[in-house]
Amino acid sequence: MSVASTNTRKYGAVTLGTLMPWIVCALILLILPQVLDSRGQLTIMSQMSIMIVFALAYNMLLGQGGMLSFGHAVYVGMGSFLCLHVMNSSGFSSIPLPILPLIGGLFGLGFAMIIGSFSTRSAGTVFAMITLGIGELMAACVLIIVVFFGGEEGISGYRDEGLPFFGLDFISHIEVFYLIAFWLFTSAALMFLFSRTPVGRMANAVRDNPERAQFLGYSSRWVRFVSFSASGFFCGIAGGLSAILFEIATESDLNVAASGVILLIVFLGGVGVFWGPVIGAIVFILLQTVLGFQTHLWELYVGVIFVGMVMFFPGGIAGLIVAHGVAISLGKLNLLIRPYLTCVLPGIIGVLGLCGLIEMIFHVREAPTGEYEMTLFWTDLNTHHVWPWLIFGGIALAGILIARNQAPVLKEAWAQANTIDGEPS
Amino acid sequence: MTPALELDDLRKSFGKAEIIRGLNLKVEKGERHAIIGPNGAGKSTMFNLITGRFPQTSGHVRLHGTDLAGLQPFQINRLGLSRSFQITNIFPKMTVFENLRCSLLWSLGYKYSFWNLVSRSRALNEGAEVILEQINLTARRDLPAGVLSYAEQRALEIGITIAGGADVIMLDEPTAGMSNTETDYIVNLIEKVTENKTLIVVEHDMGVVFGLADRISVLVYGEIIATGTPEAVRADQKVQEAYLGAALEEEH
Repeated sequence: MSVASTNTRKYGAVTLGTLMPWIVCALILLILPQVLDSRGQLTIMSQMSIMIVFALAYNMLLGQGGMLSFGHAVYVGMGSFLCLHVMNSSGFSSIPLPILPLIGGLFGLGFAMIIGSFSTRSAGTVFAMITLGIGELMAACVLIIVVFFGGEEGISGYRDEGLPFFGLDFISHIEVFYLIAFWLFTSAALMFLFSRTPVGRMANAVRDNPERAQFLGYSSRWVRFVSFSASGFFCGIAGGLSAILFEIATESDLNVAASGVILLIVFLGGVGVFWGPVIGAIVFILLQTVLGFQTHLWELYVGVIFVGMVMFFPGGIAGLIVAHGVAISLGKLNLLIRPYLTCVLPGIIGVLGLCGLIEMIFHVREAPTGEYEMTLFWTDLNTHHVWPWLIFGGIALAGILIARNQAPVLKEAWAQANTIDGEPS
Repeated sequence: MTPALELDDLRKSFGKAEIIRGLNLKVEKGERHAIIGPNGAGKSTMFNLITGRFPQTSGHVRLHGTDLAGLQPFQINRLGLSRSFQITNIFPKMTVFENLRCSLLWSLGYKYSFWNLVSRSRALNEGAEVILEQINLTARRDLPAGVLSYAEQRALEIGITIAGGADVIMLDEPTAGMSNTETDYIVNLIEKVTENKTLIVVEHDMGVVFGLADRISVLVYGEIIATGTPEAVRADQKVQEAYLGAALEEEH
């Protein structure tokens, strides 16, 4: 290609194609609360939206900057606590509620800049250990510095005492959802654009090869610091949204367990793709609420899914979806349908059978004495009969054996679907 | 005229072992200077000292007269010195184009900007395309750099090294591990992209060295035993004894 012809290439043109995903997302955010409008559904969707902001902000570090943080809930928690103090202050009546998350964001930014000034000196283990230490430190501070954190009870407030915003006072859940959705959309768009700026590109470069980046004139440390601070800003926004939704902040918002959950969410969704964390947050909140409503053991299942994901699909759910791109572009996706039906489906059924066995064992051990009846997969059964055990055991065994048997077929089909025709194997 | 690069009694010890034992060297602007020497002579260590990868024990490195003591690699790079590595050092997960675009960012003044979009900068994208064409990798534009062939990765590395517009280019064994055809390709490339620039190259392939260099320095056990034109170095008795004789015989 000659230089002359590259001049005709349009750089950074905004087309309908590039905007389409954003328009679709905005429409979903607008329409969804009209369809799912019960209080519980709105709360779950609000929670999900906050989690998405947090997960995207976390992935600015993990996916784009290659920095593994074990204490990132701190910045969300700090934003949340500060916003509640603002809500409780006399000045709150002159601040419209929709700009409160921005205050949380700026506080998160400031706090991240302080911590980042020394923690971003290196990536890798040193960085991870510092973040873990800061996480523990802040969790301890919550219980010690009662003036700011309110001790074990935390800090609570009322969101409806702010300056009315075009007549809205944000008492109803749907108004709160739209407020959160607005910030979700804005934050996601800004984070996406950040990844396309010079410093965002260099974050990728530093992640891949910090030394090479140094020899291109960039201080790896400074690049990491900018990513870290930006991530802190969006975490603070998530914190402000959390303060608005729950009207309370406690130690559990910023402890190491909360930081662990976001790591799990981002890995589950996929670190390699911008929208991976979005999927992770949605799937996780669904598992937590829907599965958590069905069984006490939901955390066990989530844990197993997480371990399985990390071991077999390190790209996460988004990575799995993207991996199908080749087959789609070659028009060979249909090759995969049959093996999915004969291998993946029995596998899933087998795993569900296994889950049935686990649930029955749990029921036998934990149910009150004399209570033998339980409901499993919409079926009533007696755990002290032999039949349920045989049936679930049989399903588990058969499903997993079929899946194992069919695995080579699936592998073969996958290879087929990813090969360009006419190329020697 | 101030030399482009000047080493003044440069020394480096690792523990008690003195690896670089007092280097004195002046490389003039626009000169193509080759460093040769047997394995373990300290060629790569010398490169690492000059580029600030690790600090010298004593002595000075001056780039256009500026003392580089205590400067970080990224600061040295901003003064106009760029290097490649003996072991390929690229951004393997990023596309070839992205690799080059990142290499241009600092020199085009973007610094740590988070208010510009890289895709909208004409200078940045066209600059990257031009280098892409120079190193003949236009066909690989959108592939992750990690999947390129070895020779292509070495070419990309040279592209990354020259992209920032540095006027002193240091290449550490650019043809290491290459076939003859690949070597010819890379040497042509080096000649093309370092025109009017100062080039310092470490190289084992004597054919490449004598073809490319204006002057040659021979480094043996941390000391420069001879510096001069290829003819002078070839004729030098000490060089013959220490190194070149053996190496030349090997080639025949």
